[in-house]
Amino acid sequence: MADISVGLNCPACGGAVSVVEGESTLLCPYCSSTLFIEGDQGVTTMAFKNRVNRESALKASRLWWSRGWKARDLKRVGRTTEVYPIYLPFWRAMTRVAGWICGYEIRRHTDSKGRVHEQKVPKEVMILNDYRFSEIATDPGDLGIRSLRNFAGETSFADFDMIPTFEATTSKDDALARARSDAQSRARSSAKVSRVTMERLHVLTRRLSMVYYPIWVVRYTYRDRMYMTTVDGVTGQVLSGRAPGDPLFQSLAITAGTSVGGLAAALGIIMSGIAAELMIVGLLAGGVILYITYRFFRHGSEIVEGEFKHKPASVSQTIKELQSAARTLQEAYR
Amino acid sequence: MRIVQVKCPSCSSPIYSKQRDQLFYCEKCNVLHTRNGGVEKLDFEIAEFNRSLSGEKVYVPFWRLYCSFIIRSKSVEGGHVFRLMSWMKDEDGSGTLFIYIPAADFDPSAFKNLAIGYTVSSPKYGSRLDFGGARRMPAVMSREEAVELADFVVVTMEAEKPGVLQRLDYSLTVNSSKVVYLPFIMGQSGLKSAL
Repeated sequence: MADISVGLNCPACGGAVSVVEGESTLLCPYCSSTLFIEGDQGVTTMAFKNRVNRESALKASRLWWSRGWKARDLKRVGRTTEVYPIYLPFWRAMTRVAGWICGYEIRRHTDSKGRVHEQKVPKEVMILNDYRFSEIATDPGDLGIRSLRNFAGETSFADFDMIPTFEATTSKDDALARARSDAQSRARSSAKVSRVTMERLHVLTRRLSMVYYPIWVVRYTYRDRMYMTTVDGVTGQVLSGRAPGDPLFQSLAITAGTSVGGLAAALGIIMSGIAAELMIVGLLAGGVILYITYRFFRHGSEIVEGEFKHKPASVSQTIKELQSAARTLQEAYR
Repeated sequence: MRIVQVKCPSCSSPIYSKQRDQLFYCEKCNVLHTRNGGVEKLDFEIAEFNRSLSGEKVYVPFWRLYCSFIIRSKSVEGGHVFRLMSWMKDEDGSGTLFIYIPAADFDPSAFKNLAIGYTVSSPKYGSRLDFGGARRMPAVMSREEAVELADFVVVTMEAEKPGVLQRLDYSLTVNSSKVVYLPFIMGQSGLKSAL
């Protein structure tokens, strides 16, 4: 768990000591003094060491260009205009949730005569779990980064003079409130109690720290339009990016989608002679396929990956939306 | 970030230790203090070991919280036994009890068992003035956290009785707190009470 460490000196003997992120006490290995770490307003501040150079960031970015539904000639036509590292501040919190959620769920079953029976099943679920939370502590602009994915690495403030650093602009209290709220909602969903009659949850903050994380920004042009990718300065992986889509993929998708959707609807109408339900199923299937096709065509001109505020819907997100709509309809029908 | 040497708030002697601990004990003047949110001396007790037991002696820190509660209403599906009844003084549903919260780092299951076990059956012990060379388990939990968890212990006691708890409307007030070091013997199968 304790992945991050930073070097300091013992105030008693001057010996080098290593502070594990989030710990408030440590022992000097030379003089055995007990040492206490007083953070800035109670918050431990850490910076990850940048382990990626310009070439590696460029390589990761170009590799990302060639993946997925992006323009096929992107690697040939795309021109890199800027590659630079920055430090972004993140709040990082570790919380423990302890408590109980009591309630019940309704189970339905159909007997041999087709009658639906409802059974109330009482539930009591104990929660005693740790949760990790992170969020960016500044306005990320168009970078598409809102939380930390990597929590392991060497820490050092050595690069601070050379790499531009974004100042933290969000408050510790707000971050803590969001971390607690996040832990509480994750605990609730893990309990899986659909109808709650009593909830006593306690969120304990185990650690709160400010982490400065190195990010490489790669900006490039493609047919006179600007795009970007960001690369993790510790792991070297692409975190977010915008890239041009491929018109051919869009055309193929709209052609295939409308054909398959139309066929499904037509098949349903033809089969209605056998059973009326088949027509409804066919029409519904056709409609769903057409909707997914439309979403892909509508947003396929730009491929977006990462945590952007305004992000076009992906196919998987569209499917989730449809599933949610289906559940709502199902509930209404009941 | 600033790093400071921990000194006793009473005699200013540096505190030397072999383990990281949230509670700092001065062997010279027998003072226990914490630094969560400022230096604060703590009221504490050290329980005497049962002399008939042998093995590696370990002291485990607990927060002992003296609490009062009032139960307004409750509902249990398939059961009715009510554990808090044993501490009730009046028919109005009020009572007092000592809640023991392990302050050392335990896995959830061990934490729950120790907390429930000592809360349900308060330990009886003679106290002593020092640790007598026995090892102390480090504390990782602050008093504020222990107070939060007192409610969890109460609900756990009720939820683990027969039946499925559906509702428990009550209030719990922590009147005072004390650190209690309880003796254990470290065996091959883990910790065993040495009271």
